[in-house]
Amino acid sequence: MGLVARAIEAAGIPTTALSIVREVTEKTPPPRALYMRFPFGHALGEVGARNQQFDILWRAFELLFEADTPGTIRDSGLRWKRENYPDPDWERFRRLGPVARPSHPR
Amino acid sequence: MASRLKNQLLARVFTAFPSLAARWGKTLVQHAGEIPWVEPLLPLAKARIALVTTGGVHLASQAPFDMSDSDGDPSLREVPVDTPREELCITHDYYDHRDAESDLNLVFPVERLKELVERGAIGSLYPVGASIMGHIDGPHLATLQEQTAPLIARKLVAAGVNYALLVPA
Repeated sequence: MGLVARAIEAAGIPTTALSIVREVTEKTPPPRALYMRFPFGHALGEVGARNQQFDILWRAFELLFEADTPGTIRDSGLRWKRENYPDPDWERFRRLGPVARPSHPR
Repeated sequence: MASRLKNQLLARVFTAFPSLAARWGKTLVQHAGEIPWVEPLLPLAKARIALVTTGGVHLASQAPFDMSDSDGDPSLREVPVDTPREELCITHDYYDHRDAESDLNLVFPVERLKELVERGAIGSLYPVGASIMGHIDGPHLATLQEQTAPLIARKLVAAGVNYALLVPA
């Protein structure tokens, strides 16, 4: 998947990727990856766990804007089936966008 | 057929024990080369998002991914995001997709992304999801890198996509 993310980014589109096996992602890092130590086939979490799925999407898009180094693998710290996920904060979602960084002034 | 069954059983074991997956990951080849980088300049609420999955999702009417080749199938399936659930299936013997079958969002989160569009968090969702299978190896890695991945990229650029979300299986 890292190869696909790299090709898309190389074509000019910023990417954010989920990762469930850090050791695999480290071999072909995409530009930005959010790592969860979840089982195969469960990148968004558990069946029907809507809040969890939104939480992971929020983190993935947050990373899209916050990462500043190619090949960033951010550990979400989420533990499989051991977290409580609150209702989505839509206002917080709507605020996601470019962040000011000293190294990338705009 | 026997080898497909073996792969499917192995996939269940790997799904149940993530430490095995980690051990497998350490055996993979390290891809060198520069990692490309583009600064995201648009707020999410104004952006057109594309979804890319390696979960082996496809339309029931499309040719399934080739499971007879142990190096995987590097070809692309384009999956309209408005496809009714009953017209979608997963062909991928290398992970246990029973949970993903009951909630496709685990590997192809179109329902969640559409809701984010409705809530005004995402500008729009590119209506065609790109689906491939992970577990590509051997000669097909070159096909993925030189053909399929650039093909996906060209399609997203042509469609005016601003950001892409990639979901593994």
